Amino acid sequence: MTLLAALRGRLAGFVGDFLATWLLGAVLIMAFLAFNVLFLVLAERKLAGHFQRRVGPMEVGPHGSLQSIADMVKLLGKQILTPVATDRFVYLLAPLLIFLPTLCVASLIPLAGAEAFANQPYGLLVIVALSGVTVLSIFMAGWSSNNKYSVLGAMRSVAQVIAYEIPVLLAALSVVMIAQTTNLRQIVEAQHNTVWYVLVQPVAAILFFIGITAETNRAPFDIPEAESELVGGFHTEYSGMRFAMFFFAEYTNMLVLAALGATLFLGGWLGPWLPGPVWLLIKSYAVIFVLIWVRWTYPRLRFDQLMSFAWKVLIPVALVNLVVTAVLVHGIG
Amino acid sequence: MGILRRFWIGAWSLVVGLKVTGYHLVRGRVTLFYPHERPDASHWNGPIELVTFPATGTHDCIACNACVRVCPSDCFTVEGKRPEGSKKMRATTFLLDFSTCSLCGLCVDVCPTDTLQYSTRYDEAFYTRGETVNDLLKPFGEDPTFAGKPT
Repeated sequence: MTLLAALRGRLAGFVGDFLATWLLGAVLIMAFLAFNVLFLVLAERKLAGHFQRRVGPMEVGPHGSLQSIADMVKLLGKQILTPVATDRFVYLLAPLLIFLPTLCVASLIPLAGAEAFANQPYGLLVIVALSGVTVLSIFMAGWSSNNKYSVLGAMRSVAQVIAYEIPVLLAALSVVMIAQTTNLRQIVEAQHNTVWYVLVQPVAAILFFIGITAETNRAPFDIPEAESELVGGFHTEYSGMRFAMFFFAEYTNMLVLAALGATLFLGGWLGPWLPGPVWLLIKSYAVIFVLIWVRWTYPRLRFDQLMSFAWKVLIPVALVNLVVTAVLVHGIG
Repeated sequence: MGILRRFWIGAWSLVVGLKVTGYHLVRGRVTLFYPHERPDASHWNGPIELVTFPATGTHDCIACNACVRVCPSDCFTVEGKRPEGSKKMRATTFLLDFSTCSLCGLCVDVCPTDTLQYSTRYDEAFYTRGETVNDLLKPFGEDPTFAGKPT
């Protein structure tokens, strides 16, 4: 921490105070997220292997631990193809843009009492709004590729994310009602005073979990990229590092939403002995473990089943949960 | 009642699914590290090969052409000649075109000297059609007619 402060001071001499903080924060977050993606891809493959009584990658490094680095080098070395029929500007913009909202959201998650990168009074609202933007670049990618599978995948993605954003928001809202604030740091502090909200709001926690599974386009809700139907979905026409950017964004989104879930329901950075950010990471990775577990357990839903599940089950349940919470909070408080 | 019960059954089935995969997560692997580990192929019926009899150190093919006649796919090309001072024929050519062999085993059954058997090779791969023709006398050295001690 002191090293960081010194570095920031040195930087501030050149580019000014604000820019120094901004640069350092961006570099730190990007570096961590890049590492996280490498780790998550490996973890996903190893866990997938063990769920299926295999062992996953074993050849590169001890127990295959350097496999994702080899994969990354391979992707870097690949030729980047641009199909002729694409809408070129949008096609090139989409992989860059998809990463932006995720990065913004990552900087809004409170890491610990004081070291949060951005302490927003409306943090939760901003996060929900920004994570809705991700779908825009997915649709841009699908539409500009000028490929029927890409368009289908993108359209499914839009419909799915819009449908599942609502239960996520309603589930988060019932937490907000108890904590009486949308500031994420204050939500965690409120859990410090009482109990973790997963105990108070189990239904909302389950709804939130289902919602983030759908929002990160993961099985059993991986309809936008259903391999057996849509080749690769919205990123069919992307190759090399452009494809890697989508991959990067997907896994980063997983971590960010898991961290949001941990913040809302599992007490964020709270925990004994270890420093706050470590606890937040442990809880986030626990949520991600369950996400991976779910992915390798359930088959993919059909599209109409997916939509009717959102609109007929999740949203009514979330609304009832919200009303009950409101009545109880009003009655007690 | 009906819808709640169905909902409960559905939700419980999801938990059961997680339990099944979770059980297998903590169990060991059932796979082999293939190129590093080899499976036990002793009961595998691979491409036909000639038996090496321990008593003589060589095969006992008398070039009777029984396998050529019985083979439903015409896999074999067998030629032989009679060595000096021997009553029996010896094979000089024994080719098996594995691309047409269906591993039916009739040649193994019909061989009067029991010198044909299934091998345990299971991972053969070729780049050209010609490579699928196995020269079964190859393991027996440069001059397969007289390799080892003829019976």
